[in-house]
Amino acid sequence: MKMDVLEEPGRKVVLLGNEAIVRGALEAGVGFVAAYPGTPSSEVPMTFSMIAKRVGFYFEYSSNEKVAFEAATGAAWSGVRSIVSQKQFGLNVAADSILPVAYTGVRAGLVVMVADDPYGWSSAQSEQDTRYYARMFKMPMIEPSNPQECLDYTRLAFDISEEFQVPVFLRTTTKVSHSIGTVSLGEMKKPKIWGEFQKDPDKYYNIRPHLQVLHDRLNKKLDQIEERYGLELNKVFPGEEKIGIITSGVSFEYAKEALLELGLSPPIAKISLTHPISKSFVSDFIKDKETILVLEELEPILEDFVKQVSKEVNPNLIVHGKDVLPRLGEYNLETVIPALEKIFGKKFYIDFNYHREKVDSSWRDLPPRKPVLCPGCPHRSTFYAVKKVFGDEAIYAGDIGCYILGVYEPINMQDFVISMGAGVGISHGVASVSDQDVVAFVGDSTFFHAAMPALVNYKFNDGKAPLVIVLDNAITAMTGHQPHPGSGFTGTGERVEPVKIEDVVKAFGAEVRVSSSFSQKQLIQALQELKAIKGPKVLISRGECRLLTRRKFRAKGIAMPIFQISQEECTKCGICTNDFACPAIIKTMEHGEEPIYSINPDICTGCAVCMQICPEGAIHIVKGEG
Amino acid sequence: MKFDIMLTGVGGEGVLTTQVMIARAANIEGHYVRGVQLHGLAQRGGVIPTFVRFGSEKEVSSPGIMQANADLVLAFERLEAVRATYYARKEKTIFVINDYPIVPIYANVFNVPYPSMSEIIKRIRPFAKKIYVFNASHLGKEKFGSAVFGNTILVGAAVGAGLLPLKEDNLREAIKVTSPREVEKNIKAFELGLELGKQKHPHDK
Repeated sequence: MKMDVLEEPGRKVVLLGNEAIVRGALEAGVGFVAAYPGTPSSEVPMTFSMIAKRVGFYFEYSSNEKVAFEAATGAAWSGVRSIVSQKQFGLNVAADSILPVAYTGVRAGLVVMVADDPYGWSSAQSEQDTRYYARMFKMPMIEPSNPQECLDYTRLAFDISEEFQVPVFLRTTTKVSHSIGTVSLGEMKKPKIWGEFQKDPDKYYNIRPHLQVLHDRLNKKLDQIEERYGLELNKVFPGEEKIGIITSGVSFEYAKEALLELGLSPPIAKISLTHPISKSFVSDFIKDKETILVLEELEPILEDFVKQVSKEVNPNLIVHGKDVLPRLGEYNLETVIPALEKIFGKKFYIDFNYHREKVDSSWRDLPPRKPVLCPGCPHRSTFYAVKKVFGDEAIYAGDIGCYILGVYEPINMQDFVISMGAGVGISHGVASVSDQDVVAFVGDSTFFHAAMPALVNYKFNDGKAPLVIVLDNAITAMTGHQPHPGSGFTGTGERVEPVKIEDVVKAFGAEVRVSSSFSQKQLIQALQELKAIKGPKVLISRGECRLLTRRKFRAKGIAMPIFQISQEECTKCGICTNDFACPAIIKTMEHGEEPIYSINPDICTGCAVCMQICPEGAIHIVKGEG
Repeated sequence: MKFDIMLTGVGGEGVLTTQVMIARAANIEGHYVRGVQLHGLAQRGGVIPTFVRFGSEKEVSSPGIMQANADLVLAFERLEAVRATYYARKEKTIFVINDYPIVPIYANVFNVPYPSMSEIIKRIRPFAKKIYVFNASHLGKEKFGSAVFGNTILVGAAVGAGLLPLKEDNLREAIKVTSPREVEKNIKAFELGLELGKQKHPHDK
């Protein structure tokens, strides 16, 4: 596919918000990029990785977000413009290192891109509002509303970072990062990729009493940024009413369209610098208004600020926000329009609630379509074997990755999912205080990212250890197939020596077995052996992500093996569809009452596991095209 | 002017690529384009509600389309056409449906029957101005070797039947720069769709 992100300046192209961020960084001459992938930010590093060699900047997938931030800091301190990107929880991982860097500051621009996910589209475990971090970290935060602003504000974020020598947050939400929009492209700058670290105790010595000097300097930087950019980044769109709208991020896009739909044209204040919020900008906007409606997703951060400022400049001002809009989930036109109807006393021609009820009643009894593990997924096979050995009663700790889909029926083997690596850590606590069998699932990329400290802790404390199962599919599959330390190649495709998980695990003093994910026999044997062992124990279930295997087969022009169910041998027990539940196996009732079980050759990826689980041996390999 | 399209289907069907194709064609035509693409978990065999909107910059700003306001629903999987009614209403919305079932595992696991095409039409009718049904994936498989070409056939059919207001040449151009592989087959699939669309009458008599 053509890469619009590298098109000529002056061209108008359609970009994803995340791609526009990449273009903005290229226009700012970025020289160093590091990231751990995380939805909804994943296309930022993915796009960088595809063009790094061609454009000539440094790119790496780091082992986690903290490591990525630290690497980018080193590069920015050495005079190379740097960017890191992550999802909201990735920022939590990196947080420990970010806060002190706000104090020391940077030399070349350092942009910290972070994507929040209200509603949890990415399977998120909380609706974190990362804007609070900007306050705690005392870092400027800029929020684009659409892809064009993603480009413009990323470029500007580098300038602000360099001008004030402070790292800058660029915050998006899912519907900014994952929205597409028309974007006008500017000139790209040749990347500066080489620099030099200069010792500077006045800048980097962050122990008291100099700590307070740095803190004071940071406070002053924020004041200056508020003064210098509060009026440039925030905008007023004049209007006719005494009621004003204050908004930011994607809510601005909803506000504009909802007001047009309702035939209203009140003044709008769009706040793009959400930290520090410009007090003079807000004062100026609210001083002559009777009512203000604040439109912002998640927490009432702008709303609280407006209420606070209004006490000084307009004590009679009525401020609406979370009283008419939800404090959870994400907004859209159907949430914003009813709020505007209330505030402006105007009726919209569509009754959304009535429509929703009508729609609901036409779907209610249809089969749901929850996300599922792909046909041929190695995780399905591992889950199946583990349940055979450990049953329904064992405690199954979950983690972050495709295998989170094991939470759904019929697998039901993710009893809790907290954060990267947490399954391994929490299992230790459960196993230490109970006699229950505990099995912790963790992915290969997640193992390197955050599970290693929890695993080494088992041996250290010589406690009762759960069984850890590393689901090693050779790649970071969930976020789009990025490499990790065990993959054997870097983010720009260079071959490197892979780090073997079994070597790490052995060094941590755990008993280890390695099994093919696609062999039920091997899996069950290894699981039974490990079940009998006390102390730290790890099963590495190794099987390549089937999407990758299929891609490799296609590239080589080789047909994948295809399987078929013999109608003579099938006893219609339903194990393949109801217990194993591979999406490629279908049950049809078209010929009378008797169901017919068959395999859809369009989506079967030839993993051969169904053949092993069929109690009648009714599934056979056949020649077919892939 | 603004035109709102909802594309729906099942993760892995190529819905996102089709969205990019339509978005690029609208861009070539000089429209301001917005839309939503969801990645990550939603792709794993789940429902992918995807939007493309184009028109004047003044009228189009929200990335998603409003409930009950789609001009066109392109359903690449027939059951998902029913769930797209959230974005549809009788006075406005045209449905173009690929008669292609991808039975969710939950039909078996929960023992809920997967609906027939006539059942699907019955449920959509209260929310549709017109309904068009094409055998796009089957044709894709028969003529070009893979059900995936059904996506381009379906887009061609929508254009051919005058339901998607973009110029044929701009779509051809967009297909050329968007097809992940087999550009020629995709162009041929598009031409086949155009022909089907031109002959086609809506399902509702």
